[in-house]
Amino acid sequence: MKDSNISDLLTKRTGRPVAGSGIGLVAATAALSFIAAGLAARRPDPHPRGLAKRAPAKREALRLSRDGAAIMGSSVLLDSALEHLRGDFRRDEMYIAPLAGAASMAAAMAEPRQNAAGRALEGVHIASFTTGLMGMGFHLGNVLRRPGGISWNNLFYAAPLGAPGALIMSGLIGMVTHQMARSSGRERRHGRQLAALTATAMLAETAEVALLHFRGAYHDPAMYLPATLPPVAAVGLLAESLSPRKRRRGPLKLLLRAVEALGYIGTAFHALGVARNSGGWKNWRQTTLAGPPMPAPISFAGLGKSGRAALDLLDVAEDREGGRAR
Amino acid sequence: MTRPIGQHAPEAETEPRAVDGRAPDVFSSRGYVPMREFRTEDEVDFVIVGAGCGGSVLAAKLAEAGMSVVLFEAGPFFRPLSDFASDEYEQEKLYWLDPRISDGDDPIEFGANNSGQAVGGSSVHFQMVSLRFRPEWFKARTKLGYGKDWPVDWREMWKYYAEVEAALKISGPIRYPWGPPRGRYPYRAHEVNEAGLVLARGAEALGVGWTPTPLCTVSAPRGKSPPCAYRGMCKIGCSVNAKQSMLITYVPRAIRAGAEVRDLAMVGRVETASDGRATGVSYHRGGAWMHQKARNVVLAGYSIETPRLMLNSDTARHSQGLANSNGLVGRNLMVHSNHAVWAKFDEEIRWYKGPPSMATCEHWNYADDDPSKDFDGGYSFMSQGPLPGDFAGTLTSASGLFGDDLLKAMGDYNRMAGLKIVGETMPSPDNRVMLSDELDDLGLPRPRVTFSFCENDKRLQRHSLDFMSKMLTAAGGQNLLETSSTAHLMGGCAMGDDPETSVTDDMGRCWDVDNLWICDGSLMPTAGGVNPAMTILANSARIADRIIASRGNL
Repeated sequence: MKDSNISDLLTKRTGRPVAGSGIGLVAATAALSFIAAGLAARRPDPHPRGLAKRAPAKREALRLSRDGAAIMGSSVLLDSALEHLRGDFRRDEMYIAPLAGAASMAAAMAEPRQNAAGRALEGVHIASFTTGLMGMGFHLGNVLRRPGGISWNNLFYAAPLGAPGALIMSGLIGMVTHQMARSSGRERRHGRQLAALTATAMLAETAEVALLHFRGAYHDPAMYLPATLPPVAAVGLLAESLSPRKRRRGPLKLLLRAVEALGYIGTAFHALGVARNSGGWKNWRQTTLAGPPMPAPISFAGLGKSGRAALDLLDVAEDREGGRAR
Repeated sequence: MTRPIGQHAPEAETEPRAVDGRAPDVFSSRGYVPMREFRTEDEVDFVIVGAGCGGSVLAAKLAEAGMSVVLFEAGPFFRPLSDFASDEYEQEKLYWLDPRISDGDDPIEFGANNSGQAVGGSSVHFQMVSLRFRPEWFKARTKLGYGKDWPVDWREMWKYYAEVEAALKISGPIRYPWGPPRGRYPYRAHEVNEAGLVLARGAEALGVGWTPTPLCTVSAPRGKSPPCAYRGMCKIGCSVNAKQSMLITYVPRAIRAGAEVRDLAMVGRVETASDGRATGVSYHRGGAWMHQKARNVVLAGYSIETPRLMLNSDTARHSQGLANSNGLVGRNLMVHSNHAVWAKFDEEIRWYKGPPSMATCEHWNYADDDPSKDFDGGYSFMSQGPLPGDFAGTLTSASGLFGDDLLKAMGDYNRMAGLKIVGETMPSPDNRVMLSDELDDLGLPRPRVTFSFCENDKRLQRHSLDFMSKMLTAAGGQNLLETSSTAHLMGGCAMGDDPETSVTDDMGRCWDVDNLWICDGSLMPTAGGVNPAMTILANSARIADRIIASRGNL
């Protein structure tokens, strides 16, 4: 395997394993992204045009979706930093994933706008999406290089094929949301598109969870929850994207809130899982890497928000149509 | 033996711990769990001698069926979390190292590879390879034309393999490449380490199958067991309790169900009445000889100690030793050939990481029609991960390396990989356990073990060395080194359908003494080309069910 120039440099400079300095580099970049995001976030477009000004309801809905994308970005940032640290940042490319996650998170938190800054934000989303696709390619290459190729052992333990999908999705949702915010009206169409996109992401995410929880032999019955609840919500979202029905949306929103909650509860369960590894939390430097990944479950929180955003958009559309009818 | 680094309870090896109504809590550093105790004058339903793979399963299942059980073990009752050091020489305390007289053309070396002396027996330090017999081996004579037939149908054994695999949460592949379909292993296979990937690369280059090894250490949390931490110290006792040894599985189950475990209790004789039936055992514990009364006695001391105990329990009525009217007690002892090829690689392997044998090839257990197969029986082989002391010993004994040369050779330790067989040997009545004239510290005659390989065994060994050399070369290995040794014990008190040619019937009940039973690896009529642990466990689970089913006639 090709060695990493960055890791080599860090190791040579400090004389210590890459862990400390590698994660330091990632943390520094992430911190910069956080600051950038903080500056960009919530600051409204100084020259609001189009719908944003006239239709705060749509803006609110899309903001929920952007929150979702930001959460997914943060999940990518932390999860890939953790997992690539576990892999010793053996290739330079491994530094890209957490950085792209940080950028995606920052861009998603920023208020959409029409000017050059807006185009830059969109560029970041497109870059995240592309980076995710490339990451998936790298991971596939890693699986195929190993003896056994596409085998259960490699799907379980080689570079996870599904993980870069979170970056693809946070980029895609960020991009789509940004475009939707810039165009006026068409809430119904946008709601249906966002519902379909979120449902697809949820199903893909479930596939990865199912695979990895299967690797853990579903040793705790709670491990079935994230493999069963999200697909139900995804089916609901797909139904909404095909033919929106208002009476369906109430329960579906509750279900999506449950999926979101699963993201937070899952993090707690993973913390317990870390404790069940040899040495528990006292041995965190080993067990947080060996145990279930703490940052992974919150991506469901992001998708839950995105899904609700889609339903909110459909509500907005119907309210407007209803208003007109009255 | 030098004593100890970081060990805070050396008294485990001198003072019995399972006393005063409590036994060590194996999931704690110094705690206890309550344990039922029996008086020596109580006539318990079953006395079981030996707390390894045979005795522990039986004790748990009989106790759970409501029978009164006392489980004797000559070794200490360890708590892995506090008693096990990460030190190869300290951990020799897990082996049965009492001197034995070993002769024949190919004298067996005793210790790490074939014995255990602790509650849990050798399952405390085994390498956790959990393979099943090939179905045809249970009728080796009829179907394959060598060895002997087992008095058991493979489908029945298959059922019990599944039972013990579930009880031990074996972590194995989703689909096993050889033999009839087996259910999915309860836990997923572990990530194959670099040493295992060497085998995988070699197998793919030569066009034979390979698989992640089904292992008896959990790949996810289980109860109080954390998942395997891949420390690689498995062979000297798992100090994190990921290994599902008898010590942390069936023995606690037995205690919970009301069985008593007597540690550091060496059984010296099975006592019999004038009618020839067993009445109990005499044992040495805490500096004194005592006697435990029992309605049934089960011997589960493995292939040396079980025959030794029977031969040493002779009386006027049983003049050749207990249950030995046909003279077969101690005969047909088998080992596994444990020959290996080692090679140096350009890249770092770090073979000590993780369980030692993470990849397996059983090709030669199933390839009956291959024209190059010039031997009866079969062999499997696995990737290797010997600890430094172990491997230095291998280098020294195989090539005489010493001093600076050994130091230099050990410099390549992190770039080495190896393949080692578990090769079937043929049962022969001349390979046997007898009593010698020498006495041990307790005044018991030391066993004398005579063993020689037959021509078929040697052809198998040669074939395996050639094949593994080819595979290592195909995987990129250089400077090949061949070594030879043995592992495991099988036979010595074979079960069978005919009282003339076997020691026990199909449920381990001695033909001559109807309340004397055997339940361990010495029952095995043939050795098979896989590690015997699962077969011994499955057979014990089967015997337990047979005993429970026939409890009315005991």
